[in-house]
Amino acid sequence: MSRYVLKFRKFGYVKYISHLDLLRVFKRTFKKTDLQLRYSQGFNPHPRMGFAQPLSLGYSSQYELVEFETVADHEPEDILKKMQEALPEGIDPLSCQRFDSNVKSLAGETDSAEYTAWIPVPQSQQGIWNDAKATEQVEHYLQQTKIFAMKRQKKTKKMVSSDIRPQIRNLSGRMILLLDENENKTGTWLELTMLLDCGSTSNLSPELVLNTFCSFADLHVPRYEMEVERKKINFVNKLQF
Amino acid sequence: MNYTLKLNQLLKRVEKPGRYIGGEINSVKKDPEKVRGRFAFCFPDLYEIGMSYLGMQILYKALNDRPDIWCERSFAPSGDMEHLMREEGMPLLTLESKTPLSEMDIVGFTLQYEMSFTTVLNMLDLAGIPIRRDERSESFPLIIAGGPCAFNPEPMADFIDIFLIGDGELLLPELTELFIESRDHGLSREEFYHKACRLDGVYIPSLYEVNYHEDGTVKEFCKLYDDAPFPVRRSIIENIENLPFPTEPVIPFIEAVHDRSVVETFRGCTRGCRFCQAGMIYRPVRERSVETILDLAEKQLAHTGNDELSLLSLSTSDYSRFEDLANALIPACRKENVSLSLPSLRIDQFAFNVLNQIQQYRKSGLTYAPEAGTQRLRDVINKGVTDEDIYKSVEQALELGWNHIKLYFMIGLPTETDEDLDGIAEIAKKIIDLNYKINGSRGGRFRVTVSVSNFVPKADTPFQWESQNTAEEFSRKHNYLSEKLRIKGVTFHYHDNTTSSYEAVFARGDRRCGKLLQAAFENGARLDGWTEYFRPEAWEKAFEETGTDRGFYTERKRSFDEILPWDIVDSGVSKNYLKKEAQRAYSAEKSMDCRHGCTGCGISRYVKCEQEGCL
Repeated sequence: MSRYVLKFRKFGYVKYISHLDLLRVFKRTFKKTDLQLRYSQGFNPHPRMGFAQPLSLGYSSQYELVEFETVADHEPEDILKKMQEALPEGIDPLSCQRFDSNVKSLAGETDSAEYTAWIPVPQSQQGIWNDAKATEQVEHYLQQTKIFAMKRQKKTKKMVSSDIRPQIRNLSGRMILLLDENENKTGTWLELTMLLDCGSTSNLSPELVLNTFCSFADLHVPRYEMEVERKKINFVNKLQF
Repeated sequence: MNYTLKLNQLLKRVEKPGRYIGGEINSVKKDPEKVRGRFAFCFPDLYEIGMSYLGMQILYKALNDRPDIWCERSFAPSGDMEHLMREEGMPLLTLESKTPLSEMDIVGFTLQYEMSFTTVLNMLDLAGIPIRRDERSESFPLIIAGGPCAFNPEPMADFIDIFLIGDGELLLPELTELFIESRDHGLSREEFYHKACRLDGVYIPSLYEVNYHEDGTVKEFCKLYDDAPFPVRRSIIENIENLPFPTEPVIPFIEAVHDRSVVETFRGCTRGCRFCQAGMIYRPVRERSVETILDLAEKQLAHTGNDELSLLSLSTSDYSRFEDLANALIPACRKENVSLSLPSLRIDQFAFNVLNQIQQYRKSGLTYAPEAGTQRLRDVINKGVTDEDIYKSVEQALELGWNHIKLYFMIGLPTETDEDLDGIAEIAKKIIDLNYKINGSRGGRFRVTVSVSNFVPKADTPFQWESQNTAEEFSRKHNYLSEKLRIKGVTFHYHDNTTSSYEAVFARGDRRCGKLLQAAFENGARLDGWTEYFRPEAWEKAFEETGTDRGFYTERKRSFDEILPWDIVDSGVSKNYLKKEAQRAYSAEKSMDCRHGCTGCGISRYVKCEQEGCL
């Protein structure tokens, strides 16, 4: 059995490609290269391929993982090279390694994920926000015994209020200056780095942290002005990629 | 001005942002400093519609194959995106470089259907380009248009600088080069027009003026430039074998309507159905060789990773070496796990053998297009299908296990009576009975779907003089058919009356329809082909404001000697032939498929007709 994990970055306009569309891009790219994927048996055969965690539409990522099985054996470096050539701009393979584990799927093994969010500080509040204020606000936010957010229930699809505090493992904030592509300053941004539960047992979307934190800290910024990037996915059983 | 930051924000606020990002596999990036001409190919509909259109991929390649031209793409934004663009002051951009259309040298639209005309105006407006050509200075890009609707260009003549009529693979790059050349030599637009109008297929509306009789019909076309051609002859490429054809087409990230490889097998049709514009304006039949088709298919599949292949033509099985082609493609596709789809097959014995080998057809059902309900009316429209053909082939399909038959008809055809409508119901009923006879009660899941569309008389067809039914008459016929088709196992679909009437206005409209179009656009009409965007009230208001008499364009039967607005264009098919065919229609006389012998359409005045009398 030849099983591999390919690590890649997703950035630029490609972040507006949905998870399902990304799946199609990979399926097609494998078909284009001569890396023939193994297909599942059965009435409606599917290539054996899967992502560790879906990435929300609009997020960039420094750390995406796709696992797959090929019919023939290939050197991981060859796979990496072929995929680098065939994938479109913005989907950038970083490494490929064999995955001789007996775990069923990466998705089943995810434990937590790290994200960074950038929030532009509104003009009127630029004077108030500095590193000390950022640290203080984050501390106070985390000191709340409960943080309620509206979550959609998986089964009933109803919105229910639930406490997300236990799912936040870590959160820190600092101020940075961001430059646009012409190197002009675009003002002060609050950079939030968060480590959140991720996976089938407990999962927290960065959206809920952003939402509750911004109301808590009195930061009124439209969501579309913020950027979020996934930095890392951590697994149980010490899986490392 | 750089719009990346703003675009990035807007993309977070719209549905399906993948429509607006570009950067797809095989999309072309060039250094703007190193090209001499920049072209924006615009499809006046949403991204997922436009990206399924092969013609754009062909012309994208034809232009980008030239090192000094960069062709980019642009599509109509959806309602949510348009709203934000207007609110935030962001102009319409190209996908590849995110450059405003107004900074292009040439902006070209493809006119595939009349109901996309308002969207053309909307795209110009969103780009900050004045929609009327008489309000544009030379600092704006040259606005051009082509496609089947350019065969009657007049309703768009107020807005488009140059129409390209006919085959575009050679003409479009040639015109673009000529434009660059003229500009670099400091020629004015007018001077450029005087050079461009000498090319076959180039119609420049500003070089002509149209005068009208008091009754509203065209009196004459007056040339405003002596050397302007009249009529403008369609551009015809005699041999399509070696034309540029995409082997590395742009692959959309998001799902397009058709997500598959496509190879065009031939252009044109010999059947001579009298309602069909495509069957007239793409003459003569010009084929690619089996070897070329196989080669193109193989390359395209290898470069795209597609898992579906389709052949494109007006009638798949009329390809002269269809059996050879199918026999080569079927095993090749099976080996590569690619599913083969063969649209518009004539259902004969060989077709059944083929279909039997491509399994997925079972699922989708079998489609027949008798177009009319009785033999008499089918003879009128020259649809060479007999009742016996249909029943024999349906019987065979039923025996082979198909359990869904789809039937396409048109209503409102010339000479149609209620008897012809009864015929539609009768065919559906007979197919249900046939199924019972063959499968007994176990054929319980069997379905027949009857889809009826409204006849829209089109320019350059033998029916170009005909009257279209009024909306009331169409409604009456729909109701009549609904009653008659209350048969167990039969589903009945029909088409909206309002759009077919607007479509008819522009299909045979004159220059004065430009006012109507502009008013409709200004009242908010756009993306008229989409039920969720179609605003009949915007149109009704436009008719009223401009005092346009709809019936003049739709219901009025033209006389044979009337000067028609599209007489400015010579499609290659002669008016005499169209008249002769119309007269034969009135006496329900069929004309033969011209592979059995020339029927004198006139195309051979200009090019060699390879298939004439070949059967």
